[in-house]
Amino acid sequence: MHEFSICEGIVKAAQEELGRMNPRPKALRRARVVVGRLHAIVPDNMEMAYEVLTRDTPIAGSKLELEFVPITAKCRACGWEGGIEPPVFLCGSCLSGDIEVLTGRELYLSNLEVEQDGDE
Amino acid sequence: MATSNIRVYRDLMGENEKWAAKTREFLAARQLTMLNLIGSPGSGKTTLLAALVREAGASGNFSVLEGDVETTHDAERIAALGIPVSQLLTNGACHLEAKLVHYALKDLAVKDRGTVVVENVGNLVCPAEFDIGEHAKVAVLSVTEGEDKPLKYPLLFRECKAVVLTKTDLLPHLRFDLAQCREYIRQVHSSVPVFEVSAVSGAGVRELLHWVQNVNKG
Repeated sequence: MHEFSICEGIVKAAQEELGRMNPRPKALRRARVVVGRLHAIVPDNMEMAYEVLTRDTPIAGSKLELEFVPITAKCRACGWEGGIEPPVFLCGSCLSGDIEVLTGRELYLSNLEVEQDGDE
Repeated sequence: MATSNIRVYRDLMGENEKWAAKTREFLAARQLTMLNLIGSPGSGKTTLLAALVREAGASGNFSVLEGDVETTHDAERIAALGIPVSQLLTNGACHLEAKLVHYALKDLAVKDRGTVVVENVGNLVCPAEFDIGEHAKVAVLSVTEGEDKPLKYPLLFRECKAVVLTKTDLLPHLRFDLAQCREYIRQVHSSVPVFEVSAVSGAGVRELLHWVQNVNKG
């Protein structure tokens, strides 16, 4: 259940980012987090953690949206570049294990969808 | 009511990473090496650690941080070897995070140029996600588990800088397929060194100690 630890960071970061916005938004609707597939993150666990950790905070009621990034790699032996299907981390062409992982390690808050008092 | 979508970029491991960086500074200033032992409950992490400490003898300069959910049993076992040890109790959490390790490390009576071994909470999933400032994560897998564990828990076997197969003295009594296990490790992480160790017979302990003592050199 490391999702709770990671989610604590999301809740804190989202509130700090909201506090920094001028004019200050009325409410947060959605927080989008980009997650590389190398992280063992279970969406249901994350969503439950988010709901629990946002209770009684100014961002209660907002939704967490996860955007997953596939694992890709480049082969140092033959130059192949492509997707990796865990758990096997071998070149998709020559089966060498000498690969450099290019994407899949991401873990960041990317977007906040906020409600603002509009003139329209 | 208008809604707008605002782009932000906030690394979510930032807080943990900040403490891990402080630990790396501390380790560098004291010329210490730190390892993060990760394996299932009962994989033999504490017994392996005791075997390494005994093999190294008085010149070993080891100290230990024991991570557990409850009890000080493991720290008591290590303290009996006469080396500095602290017990970190997570009170339910399934892994150690960098901040707790940092404070515990600063309170530990380490000697300069020594080796600090952090025994993480028994778990193959969560500890692999967290950088605690170590030089190397070491995956501990006992031959009484399944040979396919590297495929089932790829993040740990991908992140670690060595794999230790423990309890090898039991191999004659088991159906554990050692060659298949090594092949699975290769598929997940082709370049990682694999050590076959028995803390009971002492087989492989010296080779592992040699790796431990050189992990931070070059």
